[in-house]
Amino acid sequence: MTRRAAAWLLSLIMIAPLLVLGLLSVAVQWRYPSLWPSAFHHRLWLDLLHDGSALGLAFLASGLIAAAVSVLATVGGLCTSERIARHQHHSALLRLAVLPFAVSPVVMALSLDYGFIRLHWAGTVPGLILAQTLFAYAYATLLLNSLWSPRMVALSNLAASLGASRRQLWTRVRLPLGSAVIGVCLFQTFLMSWFDFALARIIGAGRVVTLPIKVFEYFGSGDLRLAAASGLLLMLPPMLMLVLNRKGLAWPLAHEASA
Amino acid sequence: MSGLPVRREGLQVTGLAKCYATTPVFENVQIELPRGRTLAVLGASGCGKTTLLRVIAGLEAADAGRVRLGGRDIGQLLPQQRQALYLYQEALLFPHLDVLENIAFGLRLRRCPERELRVICSELLAELELEGLEHRMPEQLSGGQRQRVAFGRALAVRPQLLLLDEPFGSLDAQTRSSMQMLFQRVAAQHGMTTVFVTHDVQEALRVGNCFAVLAEGRLNSFASRADFCADPASGVAQELAFWSQIASSAQVQQGPASGWKSPIDEKKRIPC
Repeated sequence: MTRRAAAWLLSLIMIAPLLVLGLLSVAVQWRYPSLWPSAFHHRLWLDLLHDGSALGLAFLASGLIAAAVSVLATVGGLCTSERIARHQHHSALLRLAVLPFAVSPVVMALSLDYGFIRLHWAGTVPGLILAQTLFAYAYATLLLNSLWSPRMVALSNLAASLGASRRQLWTRVRLPLGSAVIGVCLFQTFLMSWFDFALARIIGAGRVVTLPIKVFEYFGSGDLRLAAASGLLLMLPPMLMLVLNRKGLAWPLAHEASA
Repeated sequence: MSGLPVRREGLQVTGLAKCYATTPVFENVQIELPRGRTLAVLGASGCGKTTLLRVIAGLEAADAGRVRLGGRDIGQLLPQQRQALYLYQEALLFPHLDVLENIAFGLRLRRCPERELRVICSELLAELELEGLEHRMPEQLSGGQRQRVAFGRALAVRPQLLLLDEPFGSLDAQTRSSMQMLFQRVAAQHGMTTVFVTHDVQEALRVGNCFAVLAEGRLNSFASRADFCADPASGVAQELAFWSQIASSAQVQQGPASGWKSPIDEKKRIPC
């Protein structure tokens, strides 16, 4: 019973801010000391669906960029961590992956910006994807390093001995066995990009407008409805992914626990 | 082994050498193993038995030497191209697959037709006394059952060479004994060419019909079981001396009429 109550409390803590943001986004004339808005209007949400809505476009751009970063970083991290695990100097190589996090993201972004401007990548979607991927890839390499345990290496060797091609090693052994960690990596790298502000602001150079940039802009402008709507949009996909990821991870995690 | 006729299909290893940095693991290893025979390689822990198998399987590169299997040079081939299957001390079943799918793993890699796959797997399940366990997951099996599944998975793909790295080392004495008998039966039925490494002289004598000892980086092969038993490096003499001493002391303590019988007389009737 206590666990159930704790689960409900946790859910409430997670959902309550979303409810408040949702309410704020449709509230009209909600002034102190009223406990409830005097009127509601859903016009803002209808506007979001229209072509050319700034918030809608920022939402789509963020989703596209985060999905690309997530896939690129995870695939790159998988291949790199596998190579590093087999390398005789794997500890030293793994330390290199920590480097992007040793410096402040803003400083790193400013350093990258110079090169990106020279290459004409600044202010472009591919440029921002590349910049964010540099961080996410390093993170993915570190996270996925845990996948290459002696057991995984032994199972891969065994599968190779049984006749598995390189592709079959991935599809039939490594990906199914590593699905839990890979799922977490996809999720985390998506969030790294989705919530990123510094790189989007500096590398995006005002021409690539992502959702976090819009959120800051609306909060700064004092338009509470737009700020609440953009905040809600920023929170919704991660929440949804968290629920989906939890269901997706349920079997592998339970399986690992029992093994 | 040199006294046996070497047929073309067997394993031939010549001048095989491997070292880690500057430390040699083994050098100038020569093996001539006819098809359908089991070479028991005896050696202490850390003598390089596992490395020898991994080099033959292609999981590690040799520094020198040639490996021929079935008349073809496999020394430069990838592990998946060698037709030499290396089995670990642990059963190493794929944890995301049930018993049936573990056995069928190699067949699915080869895109074996479903009907044929089912027939092969059901025959193996029956042969390895695993009927009724088809849909169990690996963690629901005992140690012996897991090893039988691992055998089934290996047999299903009919490798030209089976490389067994102390496969029963983690089992209790009773299960180990029954697995050794099962191995003998299955190896004979399938005519498997096998290199079986162990540090246990009894196991070597039970499962092997060709013998070698790996010590100090050298593989010493024996022409016959008797030669193997007679060689001090095999440890057979020490084993016999140990049991004789136990038998003598027991008889002294309890007298000849106590009914106590030497395990050498009763259990260890392994022809030398």
